[in-house]
Amino acid sequence: MILGYLGAGALLAALVMGGFSAVLSFWAGRQQNPIMVQVGRRAFYAATAMIVAAGGVLEWALLSHDFSLAYVTEHTDLSTSTALSAAGFYGGQEGSLLYWALVLGVLGSVSLVASASLGLRLAGYAAGLMAAILSFFLVVLVLVASPFDLLSITPPDGLGLNPILRDGGMLIHPPVILAGFASFAIPFCFASAALMAGRPDSAWIAHTRRFALIAWGLQTTGLVLGMWWAYHVLGWGGYWGWDPVENVALMPWLATTAYLHSSMVQETRGRLRAWNFGLVILAFLLVVFGTFIVRSGVVPSVHTFAISAIGPWFLAFLFICIVFSVVLLALRSSVLGGGAEPVAPVSREGAFVLQNLLLIAVVVVVLWGTVLPLVSGMLGQQRVVGAAYYERAAGPLFVVILALMAAGPLLPWRRAARMPSARALMWPGAAIVVVLAALLVAGVRSIPALIALPLVAAVAGTCFTQYARLGSGWARLPSMLRRRRRRYGAYLAHLGLAVLVAGIGASHFWQQEKDVTLAPGQQVTVAGYTLTYTGSEQRQLADHTELVALMRFGDSTLEPARATYSGLGGQSLTHVAISTTPVADVYVVLAGVTADGSASFSVFVNPLVSWIWAGGAIIIVGVLLGNIGERAPAVEAVRRRVPASVLT
Amino acid sequence: MTAKWSIPALVVAACVGYLIYSASGGTTEYYLTVGELRSHSGAGDVRVAGVVQTDVQKTDGGLHVTFTEKDATSSVPVDYTGTLPDIFKPGITVVAEGRLGTDGVFHATTLLAKCPSRFSTTPYTQ
Repeated sequence: MILGYLGAGALLAALVMGGFSAVLSFWAGRQQNPIMVQVGRRAFYAATAMIVAAGGVLEWALLSHDFSLAYVTEHTDLSTSTALSAAGFYGGQEGSLLYWALVLGVLGSVSLVASASLGLRLAGYAAGLMAAILSFFLVVLVLVASPFDLLSITPPDGLGLNPILRDGGMLIHPPVILAGFASFAIPFCFASAALMAGRPDSAWIAHTRRFALIAWGLQTTGLVLGMWWAYHVLGWGGYWGWDPVENVALMPWLATTAYLHSSMVQETRGRLRAWNFGLVILAFLLVVFGTFIVRSGVVPSVHTFAISAIGPWFLAFLFICIVFSVVLLALRSSVLGGGAEPVAPVSREGAFVLQNLLLIAVVVVVLWGTVLPLVSGMLGQQRVVGAAYYERAAGPLFVVILALMAAGPLLPWRRAARMPSARALMWPGAAIVVVLAALLVAGVRSIPALIALPLVAAVAGTCFTQYARLGSGWARLPSMLRRRRRRYGAYLAHLGLAVLVAGIGASHFWQQEKDVTLAPGQQVTVAGYTLTYTGSEQRQLADHTELVALMRFGDSTLEPARATYSGLGGQSLTHVAISTTPVADVYVVLAGVTADGSASFSVFVNPLVSWIWAGGAIIIVGVLLGNIGERAPAVEAVRRRVPASVLT
Repeated sequence: MTAKWSIPALVVAACVGYLIYSASGGTTEYYLTVGELRSHSGAGDVRVAGVVQTDVQKTDGGLHVTFTEKDATSSVPVDYTGTLPDIFKPGITVVAEGRLGTDGVFHATTLLAKCPSRFSTTPYTQ
C-alpha cells in the first residue's frame, strides 16, 4: 500500500521536474544564459533521479509480492520465480513505459553531461527537447497508465505471468529492445537542437555518435534475441514471421543502420548534412510509430494488443513529433546547403548514399506492408499481405545492399580515380566463384539462392581483404588496430552480418518439414536425419505437468513435450526439442499422443540456423571492440569559450 | 544532395514502386469476417478471424482438426491439417488462412492463434 503512494509520488515529482526542465532549458537556451542552462540540465537529472526511485519502488513491490498494487497482481503470483518477478518490471504496459522513461532519463543525463561544450544554445535546446519527451512519458504514466494504481482489496495471490512468457527470453529480449528504442531519442534531441540553434555542422553527430551506436547495438541485440526466443519457444520452426510487431522493430533498425553510415560521410567529408538530420528524425518517428502500433491495436496481428487508453496519447505524440520535425526542417532548409564538392557516384561516399537509399526503400516496403490493413480498411475491404510480399519486394533490395557491402569498403573516398586494384577484388571475387560453383555442384537451381549466397561470401571476402591488409605489417599491427579500431570493429560487424545472412538464407531456402504420426519403435527420416520414437511419459513439475515424447537421435535423446498449466485453465504449451550442430538444427515439435501410445510430430531440419545467433554475437563484438574506451572526439573550439564551472 | 543524385534516387524510388506493386499483386489477401466470407467471390487465399467453438474434433494424433469458427454474426466449419498453436482450444480467437471449398467447409492452410501479448493481461476483477 505504502509502496503505491511512494511510487506515484515519485512519478509526480519527476513530472514536475521534467516539465520545469523543459520550459527552463528552452528559455535559457534562447537567452544563452549559462547559469539557467545548467539549472535546466540539473532539473533533468533530478527528474531522472525520481524515475529511478519510482523504478526501485516498483521493483521492490514486485519482489515483495505486494498485491495491493494492481500491476503486481496482474503480472506475477507467489509461484513466480524471483528473476521473472523482477522481469515483471517491463513485463506489462505500465511498467514498460516506466522502463522506457528510465532508460531515456539515465542515458539522456549521461549525454547532457558536458553538452555545454556544444554551445549554450544547442545544449539548452537539447535538454529542453529531452525533458519534453521525458515529460510526455511521465504524463502518460501519471494520468493514464500508472503502474502504482492500488486495488481496493488486496488479493491473497496474483494472476501470474502467461506461460509463454515464463522463459529465459523474457529476461533479456524485452529490456534490450526497449532500451534500444528509448536511447535513439538522444541523437534525435541533439539533431533537432542543432537545427533549432542553427548549427548544422557535425558537432552534434560527434557528441551523439556513441549513443547512436548504443541504440543500434541494443536494437540489433534485441532483434536477434527476439528471433532466438521465437525460434526456441513458439514451435513453428521459424524465427521471423513479418508480423506487424516484428516490422515496427525492424524499421527503426534499418533507419538507424542507414544513419550510422551516412553520419560517417558527414564526419569525414562534411557531406549529407540535410540527409543526416532527416534520417535521425525518421528513425525516431519510426520508433514512436512502432510504439503506437504495438500499443493501440489498429492493425491485425497474431499478437493480441492491449486495446488500451494510451493509444490516442501516442497518436497525438506521433502527430506532434511529425509536425515539429517537418516544420523544423522546412524552416532551417536554408542553413543546410550541402557545400562545395558533389558526391561522386563511384566512391566510398557514393556507395554510402546508395546504401542509404536502399535501406530507406526497404523501410518503405515494410511500412507499406504494415499499414496496408489500415489503409485498405479505410478505403473498403481490409487486405493483408503475408511473408511472400516482403520476400518478393524487399528481397531484391537486400540483394543489392549485399552487393554494396561487398564492393563499398573497397572503393576509395572522393572520386574513384584510383579504382580498387585487381588484388583487392581477388578475395571477394574468388569467394563468389567458389560458393557459386559449390552450390551448382550441390544441385541448387534456385535463382535467389544462387545470387544471395555467393554475395554473402563476397561480403565476408571483402572483410578478410581488409584484415589481410593489416597482416602485411605484423610489427605495426597493435598500433594500427588501436588507431583504426572503429574501422576494424565495423568490418567485424560486417562479417557478423554476413554470417547472420548466410544463416537466414540457408534456413529460408532449404528448410525441410515433415508431419508424421509414429507408433513406439517407428522411425522417421528428414533430410538424412533419422529419429526413432521410443515412447512417451508423463512428468509432474512444480507448476505444470509435462507429456514428454522420447526420440532417439544418434547417441542422444530428444525430448519434445507438451506442458499443461492447471493453474491457468489448463493452458498447454509446446516445449520444442532442438539438436543443434553448426550444419543444421533438428527441430522436433510434439503435436499430441493418442490413447494407443502413438505420437504425432512436426519435424523440421533447419540448415545453418546457429549461424544467425553466431553472426549476431560477432556483430556485437565488433561494435564493442570498435568503440569501447575510444576517446571522445574533441570539441575544444567551443569549450574554451564556456567557463568550466558550468560544464556539468 | 545535388541534382546528380536525384536520378539514382528516382531510379531507386521507381524500382521500389514496381517491387511493391508487383509483390502485392499476387500476395495480398482479404481479411474477412465470417459473414463476408460467404459473399466473397474471387480466387486466392483469404484470412478469416473468429472464435473457436466447442465442437473441436482432433484426429491423426492431433495433426488433423475440424471445428466451427464463429464471429459476432455467423459461423463456418473449418478443416485444418498441421501442428496446432499451443493455446488452441475452444474460446480463443484464431485467424485461419485458406479458402472456402464448394462443400461449404473452410480449408485452412495456416492457423494462427492470437497470441497473448506482454501488454495485454486480464485485468484483476474483484
